[in-house]
Amino acid sequence: MKKVIYLIILLFTAAMAQIKDPDIILNNVKKASERVKDYQANVRIKLDIPFIKAPDSDAKIYFKAPDKMHIESKTFALLPKEGMDFSPAALLKGNYTAIYVKEEMIDGIKASVVKVIPNNEKSEVILSTLWIDQKTSTIRKVETTAKVNGTFVIELKYDGKNQYNLPSNLVFTFNADRISLPKAFSDNNTEGAKKKEIKSRQGRVYITYTNYIINKGISDSIFEKKK
Amino acid sequence: MFTLIRIELFKIFSKWRTYIGFIAIAALIPLIEIAMLIQKERTFDWITRSMGQSFIFVGNFLNTYFVSYLIINSIALHIPFLITLVAGDLLAGEATAGTYRMLLTRPVSRFKVVTSKFAAGLIYANMLVFWLALISMGLGYILFGTGELIVSKSAQIIIFERTDVIWRFVLAYGYAALCMCVVTSVAFFFSSLVENAIGPIITTMAIIIVFLIISAIDIDFFQKLKPFLFTSYMLNWQSFFDSPVDIDSIIKAVLVLAGHIAVLYTATLLIFKRKDILT
Repeated sequence: MKKVIYLIILLFTAAMAQIKDPDIILNNVKKASERVKDYQANVRIKLDIPFIKAPDSDAKIYFKAPDKMHIESKTFALLPKEGMDFSPAALLKGNYTAIYVKEEMIDGIKASVVKVIPNNEKSEVILSTLWIDQKTSTIRKVETTAKVNGTFVIELKYDGKNQYNLPSNLVFTFNADRISLPKAFSDNNTEGAKKKEIKSRQGRVYITYTNYIINKGISDSIFEKKK
Repeated sequence: MFTLIRIELFKIFSKWRTYIGFIAIAALIPLIEIAMLIQKERTFDWITRSMGQSFIFVGNFLNTYFVSYLIINSIALHIPFLITLVAGDLLAGEATAGTYRMLLTRPVSRFKVVTSKFAAGLIYANMLVFWLALISMGLGYILFGTGELIVSKSAQIIIFERTDVIWRFVLAYGYAALCMCVVTSVAFFFSSLVENAIGPIITTMAIIIVFLIISAIDIDFFQKLKPFLFTSYMLNWQSFFDSPVDIDSIIKAVLVLAGHIAVLYTATLLIFKRKDILT
């Protein structure tokens, strides 16, 4: 009987320790992501932003750890600045305080919710909330509040086709209130033209990743800015 | 009739003032495009500055389409003044030269004289717009190549794929040519009333300026007048760069402008048929 009770307490403690320590959770995520030294992928970008009308576009993304990123396109691409680098190294930069909040279901997967507050007052980010799938040590969702760009949400989906758990889809949601449109060089002040009203200021960018080539080596020259 | 039109075109292109418009466009547009070439991506600063904090722009947006769009947007309202230089001289120039009687004593009806001169004026207007298109897009293609077209409107930014741009420009330049035909008609009408070309040239310019000012002033009374002024429809070529294209407003504008041409041509014909040639 005593042995059974001891076993129950041991299992319960182990379970608690595995789930509740935010630093361990985040370190596991970082370790899992460190397996990726570099990758390149084709991306298809779909914009759903009320004040931008653009066709779907294709681009190629190059990434080299820890933070080198290069995007190129034969046609054009309009991409959100935040969220393109979804690596934990980028999301968990510098010193921070992590707080475990709770568990939550996200897309049918149990995720641990961890809040990350940068210790540096000069940090651009005020607060980040991460939904982490502990089974695969991957980030499922990030909600970040930044000083300049306001609050944005990144949802990452994984199809399990690559062993490094890089996402297959990314949905970037943001509030466009802080984005001011450039001065129009055609005001559409033509007789009979219908005036357009933009009611919603929330925007979404859908990015689909395909054809990952991971850890095959990428030359640094690709990341050098062309003049 | 074709022979008469050819003769009128010969007379138009025999005068040095005809080439002012072509030379002005040939001088101005390369200047603009070379300036943009030197500036390169900084040309886009006014678009990307506000959005650059949130978005990364990738691609060749500084291309012939963007440059041509910017050019036609900048000078669309100034080209009419180059048109009036020729159109105002079509009939009044004959009076100034004293060739009216010689012209009208020939076995050619007044109807044919007016129509051939009018047609020659329209051809000149279309040639000037074609020249504008050729220089803008031709030189732009050599300097910048092609790419996607980014258009900034008051409530929206629209990006057009490169395969979805050429037809818009063809229709936009076609519409601009129609607008220039209206200006030709106005100048031609005034040319039938006087014996000196300066009068119709200045009068047409003055009418365009006054109508544009009336359209721009935000007073209820003037806004009611706006649909009746041909200048209100001169910027409707921008509608071809909307998504989706507002077909109804374009059709309405085309009908209004075509109506102006028809009315002014008919009025000129009636006046000239009854005109006493005393010089």
